[in-house]
Amino acid sequence: MAFEPKELQKEIKYEEIRIYSDAELNNYTEEELKNFKIKHDIPDLDDLEKGPWPSFVADAKQGALHRRKLADDRMLIDRDVIEDMLGQLQISFDEGETHWKHGGIVGVFGYGGGVIGRYSDLPEKYPSIAHFHTVRVAQPSSKFYDSNFLRTVCDLWEYRGSGLMNLHGSTGDLVLLGTTTEQLEPIFFELTHEMQVDIGGSGSNLRTPECCIGKARCEWSCYDTQDLCYELTQYYQDELHRPAFPYKFKFKFDGCPNGCVASIARSDMSFIGTWRDDIRIDQEAVKAYIAGEVVPNGGAHKGRDWGKFDIQKEVLDLCPTKCMWMEDGELKIDNAECTRCMHCISVMPKALRPGTDTGVTILCGAKAPILEGAQMATLIVPFMKAEPPYDNIKEFIEKVWEWWMEEGKNRERLGELIQRATLPKFLEVLELPAMPQYVKEPRSNPYILWKEEDVPGGWSRDIKDYRARHKR
Amino acid sequence: MEELKKAIIEFAESSKKTKFYFKDIEKAVQKVNPDAKMREIKKACTALINDGTMIYFSTGSSTMYGLKGRGMTEDPE
Ligand code: HEM
Ligand code: HEM
Ligand code: SF4
Ligand code: SF4
Repeated sequence: MAFEPKELQKEIKYEEIRIYSDAELNNYTEEELKNFKIKHDIPDLDDLEKGPWPSFVADAKQGALHRRKLADDRMLIDRDVIEDMLGQLQISFDEGETHWKHGGIVGVFGYGGGVIGRYSDLPEKYPSIAHFHTVRVAQPSSKFYDSNFLRTVCDLWEYRGSGLMNLHGSTGDLVLLGTTTEQLEPIFFELTHEMQVDIGGSGSNLRTPECCIGKARCEWSCYDTQDLCYELTQYYQDELHRPAFPYKFKFKFDGCPNGCVASIARSDMSFIGTWRDDIRIDQEAVKAYIAGEVVPNGGAHKGRDWGKFDIQKEVLDLCPTKCMWMEDGELKIDNAECTRCMHCISVMPKALRPGTDTGVTILCGAKAPILEGAQMATLIVPFMKAEPPYDNIKEFIEKVWEWWMEEGKNRERLGELIQRATLPKFLEVLELPAMPQYVKEPRSNPYILWKEEDVPGGWSRDIKDYRARHKR
Repeated sequence: MEELKKAIIEFAESSKKTKFYFKDIEKAVQKVNPDAKMREIKKACTALINDGTMIYFSTGSSTMYGLKGRGMTEDPE
């Protein structure tokens, strides 16, 4: 059953909820900024402003000056938050130790995630950052924003928080950095009731799912990434907001193997669009590329002269499975050997397109280094259709969760559990047959151990019969 | 549900610890009530959160449950 909204999306009355005028937002001159010094000495941070790169220090100083010049009743937490944050960071650089305390019971009513408690352990020295909590705001699918929305979030955060934010965190959330405990419920109310946006996930629960731009703009998308992302976000609200997992769990959705949200490296369950029929070839367009009539790579990298397009060198030789060749002026592909890497399609988008029998490949177990080192996801389901209401996908997800919640240790990611319990065990739980492609290389995961019921005759044998054929 | 809530509170009150992973709550409840399903235990925990008996503790990367007013303050240790 697909998710059905209980109420229609309200129209957001931006003009009523905006807080600051343009004059308040642009309240200092370039000259003032150049001469501005924050109240702490921060030599190492000043150093980070040098060089051609953008610098968070420069951004933070702008925020600090902006707060210096706002009227007293135009912000609800301390004026000095940004200056104190920078001051404490300088101390951390001096001592090589962090002064943020980790964790606490802050949260908003009924939610087990989305708000992360942070406290300074130098509250006497830096009183305005004694509480400096983070709020994660769920991004819309593919991050399509209305600029009114972004301005309103910025206003809200300037007014009830530090004004510092980072877009976007690893899960895709808008990350609002630094507010006090008293401001959390009002922020939550305004985000959810006035702005119709939820807060994201944190802690031992499903994190805010994230997808590539998908069918909204990209012709390669093999399924509707936004729809699947939205559906699973709504369908698994309980898992998102009420933590009961052993540890965090992330879904990410790439529409094709180009992997624009890098789901294969960044999510416990990665959905990558693919096709199981043949790559569509327009032979006339192939000829046009060869003749130099169409720029390769959709015009990317055309800033310099790479010479004449060479289909042999740039496409055929780079096919990882070497399944392409030219025959009588036509491009041929042995589709059974094609690993769907997208290389040829990306180079010649006018000539080649993914097939039409599309769906998803599901991979599990990627993670950043925590207990064990970093890990890429392992292919589990080579192909599955991905169409609403996605019951097949939900059934798969729930089997995985059930096992992980049962067998996983506290703070053990799915990928670590698969390593500990073994891949064959995971496949057995999912009732999937093992296939040769699961063997990465014989040295690291060579063995499929047979169980007695897998072997004709089991473990018992007639020793006399055996000896009749094999001498001692 | 009431039975599960009672088991959760009893476990949390009798433990020396003040913060619990969900898994540890689940195991403790299943010790006194072997038929209790994980989802039901989770529902009971949520109900205890909603009525204010329990609170969440989060480091940002993992989450624990505790009884309100028992050892857990707003400050981290
Ligand atoms: C110039 C000749 C050879 C070269 C360069 C060579 C190279 C290698 C290399 C690189 C490995 C992998 C080691 C590992 O990853 O642990 C290997 C394994 C092996 N080689 Fe050779 N090899 C040669 C000749 C031979 C010959 C003549 C035999 C048998 C008569 C042989 C039998 C094996 C066996 C049984 C292994 C597996 C050993 C194990 O995994 O413990 N090799 N060889
Ligand atoms: C009754 C006879 C044999 C017994 C009991 C035996 C037993 C074993 C055992 C227990 C191992 C270690 C397997 C493991 O790493 O888990 C092994 C490895 C090996 N045996 Fe044998 N073996 C026998 C005959 C042979 C013969 C006749 C050959 C070659 C003609 C051979 C070549 C090897 C090689 C190359 C390895 C290393 C394989 C690897 O590490 O990848 N063995 N053997
Ligand atoms: S992952 Fe593929 S489908 Fe999605 S935006 Fe990137 S190229 Fe397009
Ligand atoms: S998609 Fe990749 S593997 Fe398949 S034919 Fe093109 S280059 Fe080769």
